Amino acid sequence: MRNILTAFLFILFAVQLFVPAQMIYQQEDTLVTGTAYKFKTRPIDPTDPFRGKYITLNYELNSFQTNEDWNDYTGNVFVYLTTDTEGFASVETVSKTLLDNENDYVIAESNYNYTKTVNFNLPFNRFYMNENKAYAAEVSVQNAQRDSIKTCYGLVYVKDGTAVLDNVFIDDMPIQQFVTEFQNEN
Amino acid sequence: MNSKFERELSELLEQNIITSDTAQKITAYYHTKEEAKPNRLFTIFGVLGALLSGLGVILIIAHNWDEMPKNLKTIFAFLPLIIGQISCAYSFIKKKGGAWIESSATFLILSVGATISLVSQIYNIPGNFSNFLLVWIAITAPLMYLLRSNIAVLLHLVLITWYACELGYGYRSPMPWWYLPLLAWVVPYYIRLQKQEAQSNIAGVLNWLLPLSPIIVLGTFTSGDISSFLMYLGLFGLLYNLGELPQFKNQKLRRNGYTVMGSLGTITILMVLTFEWFWKDATRDSYEQINIMLTSIPFLAAFAVLIYVHLKKHVKTFNLFQYAFLVVGILYLTNHLGYIHNIILTNILVAALGLFAIRIGINKSSYAILNYGLLTITVLIVCRFFDTNLDFIIRGILFISVGAGFFFANYLLLKKQRKSVLENNTKEENNA
Repeated sequence: MRNILTAFLFILFAVQLFVPAQMIYQQEDTLVTGTAYKFKTRPIDPTDPFRGKYITLNYELNSFQTNEDWNDYTGNVFVYLTTDTEGFASVETVSKTLLDNENDYVIAESNYNYTKTVNFNLPFNRFYMNENKAYAAEVSVQNAQRDSIKTCYGLVYVKDGTAVLDNVFIDDMPIQQFVTEFQNEN
Repeated sequence: MNSKFERELSELLEQNIITSDTAQKITAYYHTKEEAKPNRLFTIFGVLGALLSGLGVILIIAHNWDEMPKNLKTIFAFLPLIIGQISCAYSFIKKKGGAWIESSATFLILSVGATISLVSQIYNIPGNFSNFLLVWIAITAPLMYLLRSNIAVLLHLVLITWYACELGYGYRSPMPWWYLPLLAWVVPYYIRLQKQEAQSNIAGVLNWLLPLSPIIVLGTFTSGDISSFLMYLGLFGLLYNLGELPQFKNQKLRRNGYTVMGSLGTITILMVLTFEWFWKDATRDSYEQINIMLTSIPFLAAFAVLIYVHLKKHVKTFNLFQYAFLVVGILYLTNHLGYIHNIILTNILVAALGLFAIRIGINKSSYAILNYGLLTITVLIVCRFFDTNLDFIIRGILFISVGAGFFFANYLLLKKQRKSVLENNTKEENNA
């Protein structure tokens, strides 16, 4: 009996190790073999009790004009991506079902549909930061966008519907470095 | 053994009430009892230490060391998990005592949460909080059975309650269905504990925590209309009747959370039901099938337990609290005949329950239960003070009557206690 219990205990340990390991594998695979997209955004600063401080990214890419009439506009939608002339991500099409389309797609949550415009939330809207930098990130980016024409974007790798937010940049400078410089200046 | 007890013992010896042999036996008994104490203390401090260090790890992780490379952060993410697993394996294989098992299980459970959190943080995995809690609960749930850890049960109950509240409370939130099997998962462990260690501290704590969790969570399964009150009444009826099972009833009231929470909950809900608006609204509301089904589940469960306690002859005297949910259920089903009689009958029911509590209080010589009954009647009168058109004189007389009732009932109980003390003294003198 004790041997069986010991075996079960070690199986449980393996499962406990497998869950985070599988999370890491999926993210690393997307980062290495996925396609990179830049999503224009603006950060704000809330807190998670376990994972700490993060900035929420409000993406400019949050709606798409479709010619379809949907009865149910809630739930998940497949957002097919392409790149605009400036090199930023844009929407090719949005669908309730998986399409036979070669473009990369991400799964987003649809909010509502108004005059055939689907409004959605992209899932990769959390970027965890050092607890001393998250609020400064919000303020510094707000100041930067008010004072001059600076572009803030999230670099996201996409593969088979999995999207991994790698970093957030302000005019090609990583946000951590941007915030450090802002904190030093103030 | 404390010095006061030692003084009492020598006094009994001097007065020749006990022999020196008996005194020695008593001393030896308390010495052996005290020897077991340090182990219990060691367990408590061990668990507290593990709990604090586990929470400390989570806080340090929450800081987010963004200057650290991703690979190093990932290694650190697994470190607390592996330490927790090694210490659990060591305690289990080496058959270490309760302190080791409980501390290592506590640390491992918290480490699992810390590791998943850190991986989510490193890779900015969005995932909502309730999903994170669900994964955490699922991969730590078997620990209570494998390690026989009591703290694992407590943490499991806290986590599933948190999960259900996180998911279920809020605008247009889904119902936390996973809560039900996760709660049921604890039941076999709890039954074993009741059979083998019914008098232990952990059994006493679980007697409160196990009924408290569904009380907190039940609101997530309600739709916020009239049926919510009925659903809660069914649950409190179920808890009260469970508290009447001999394994709980034969324990002290402070160890029987079922009876206490079942009784307080029943009175609170019934007090709301004494108002006119409830029965008026009940005639208007039309219900969805799912609401009717969800409301009937706690009612049927309570009814099943009531039948069980009768069949097993655990009920020796009539106790109105056991049937209160059933009375309201019948009143609700006959509401289409007119609601006025339901309002009157619910008021009578609450008053009767108050009187019943007073009777139980006098029989058990308990001031707490006696005054609980009086308080029930007082609150009922205060409620009627606001929504009836009674004359001020009548209202005044009612209040004076209840005030006098408080004095009179407490005086009666005091007299009864004095009488029984006097009778005991007379018996002892006669025997001497």
